[in-house]
Amino acid sequence: MSNALETTRLSKRYGRLWALQDCTLALPAGRVAALVGPNGAGKTTLLNLSVGLLEPTEGLVQVFGCSPLKQTTETLPRLGFVAQNHPLYMDFTVANLLTLGRKLNPRWDDRLARGRMQKLSIPLDRRAGKLSGGQQAQVALVLALAKRPDLLLLDEPLASLDPLARREFLRTLMDAVAETGLTVLLSSHIIGDLERVCDYLIILSASYVQLADAIASVHTVIERLVGPRQEVDAIASVHTVIETSQTERQTTLLVRINGPLFDPSWEVQEVSLEDIVLAYLGQQATERLSSSPSAQKRMEVVQ
Amino acid sequence: MIWVTWRQHRTESFILLGVLVLSSIFLLVTGLTMANTFQQSGLSNCLANDKDTRALLTICGPLGSAFLNQYGPLFPFAAALLILPILLGAMVGAPLVARECEQHTNLLVWMQSITRTRWLTVKVALVLGTGLLVAGVLLVLLTWWYRPFSQLNGSFNQVAFDFSGPVLIAATVLALALGIFVGTLTRRTVFAIFLTLALILAIRLPVEFGLRPNYEPQITVTWPLDAQGNKTNNVSCNGPQQQTPLQCMQADGYRGNYLSYQPADRFWTFQWIETGLYLAISVLALGATFWLVRRRLV
Repeated sequence: MSNALETTRLSKRYGRLWALQDCTLALPAGRVAALVGPNGAGKTTLLNLSVGLLEPTEGLVQVFGCSPLKQTTETLPRLGFVAQNHPLYMDFTVANLLTLGRKLNPRWDDRLARGRMQKLSIPLDRRAGKLSGGQQAQVALVLALAKRPDLLLLDEPLASLDPLARREFLRTLMDAVAETGLTVLLSSHIIGDLERVCDYLIILSASYVQLADAIASVHTVIERLVGPRQEVDAIASVHTVIETSQTERQTTLLVRINGPLFDPSWEVQEVSLEDIVLAYLGQQATERLSSSPSAQKRMEVVQ
Repeated sequence: MIWVTWRQHRTESFILLGVLVLSSIFLLVTGLTMANTFQQSGLSNCLANDKDTRALLTICGPLGSAFLNQYGPLFPFAAALLILPILLGAMVGAPLVARECEQHTNLLVWMQSITRTRWLTVKVALVLGTGLLVAGVLLVLLTWWYRPFSQLNGSFNQVAFDFSGPVLIAATVLALALGIFVGTLTRRTVFAIFLTLALILAIRLPVEFGLRPNYEPQITVTWPLDAQGNKTNNVSCNGPQQQTPLQCMQADGYRGNYLSYQPADRFWTFQWIETGLYLAISVLALGATFWLVRRRLV
């Protein structure tokens, strides 16, 4: 399968501060990917680089094999983007916004746009500024969808929405995915909502990619091991230990399985996506606290 | 994109149109009255008959003074319309890109299927087009309005020069270009408006008061002190009581009167020099704007 988005050692620096470093990842076409990470991890930077709104300091980014910054006329019609806080021209009516979409996009699907607005019962003659936050997010999403993109990137689309609006937003998104099979990359720090809609996970922390994999395979390779209290060296020599917690009697590990597991004293348990994400992010936090973590060490964790 | 730009600036356009209509009405009404008086009082005929110097001095002089006394007070109001191009630069030019950046709507419009360069080109072209239209209307109306004054005083003076030729157009383009550039650079609307005003003044005041009188070397004429001794009355001279002012000045070492001036036939040369200067700065500012929008992104 070809990749919708590919980055190679992508880095972005603002002054002395690295917002993103050595980001190498491939997002296969057709996936709905979640980009998770704490605030300031570089999620927005990665998305902005991916759509050509930013220029990389180092490295390469390609959308369907084209550079989004240099080959804008090829990539722009294929890209949909909803920026953080879903900006709209607030004094435009919804109908005006749809006209904008129609005039500026060759692949514009007006029937889709109007149909969605009707389904969401958003009045076309209402000014965008008078809509609720949830409705504004929906309008922004529909504007991006009616562009008929092949890759849709959403920057924190759920952040400002209440739980009900969040669900409706994701429903609109999933309807479109089901109809057109477009690739989606959405950033968020709300993991619970994503588990239902995403099948690919990218964890970004402290400006590095910690994990980029299909959620199905994440589930099969990352396991929780529970056993009597013991040293973890034996396990760590074969498998990658992501998180360790010890009580007086037992040891609980979150492990990336790299081979067969021989020791029968370990009981294997399923882990939720949220646990995996938190473990990766928690590991970052402890590493940062303990010693000065080198970039090399973090890269090992990824591989 | 043309439609989008129009939709975004609909309100400003209507306000601008209103201001322009009101200004035109003011100029037309007062202008017609003035032209009428100019004709009726015989001033027009008198000035046309410029062979007869005696008539010029004895008849035209008082008529001209009367005309200037009557309508001179209107002049500051007409000249105040020269603020319009400056305001256009600050209120329309500066927010053009700055407001989009401030409200992050650039992230919406840049992710449609047109390039940023195209987006900026259309916006700049439409705004400059509007500016040219406004400046053109002002140029025609003000030149026509000023004609009686022009016949009495000429157009080669500090204020009339600004609206009597292409300089008015160039100054409008300059204001808009600076506004657009500053707005793109700062990305903050209110700050950009004030910075634009400051920048326009910082360029135009030195040009008008410093450069303009010296686009070409001034012509200086001198004549002896005693030929027209009465001119020395303006100069204070402290000498012994029995001296006439003339003797006093001669004793102090003054040897002649002089006058430096720019002849009236240089009017158009000066207009084009200043027009070229303003347009060159505008081109630089707009070039920098395009560079900024293409290079420095979000």
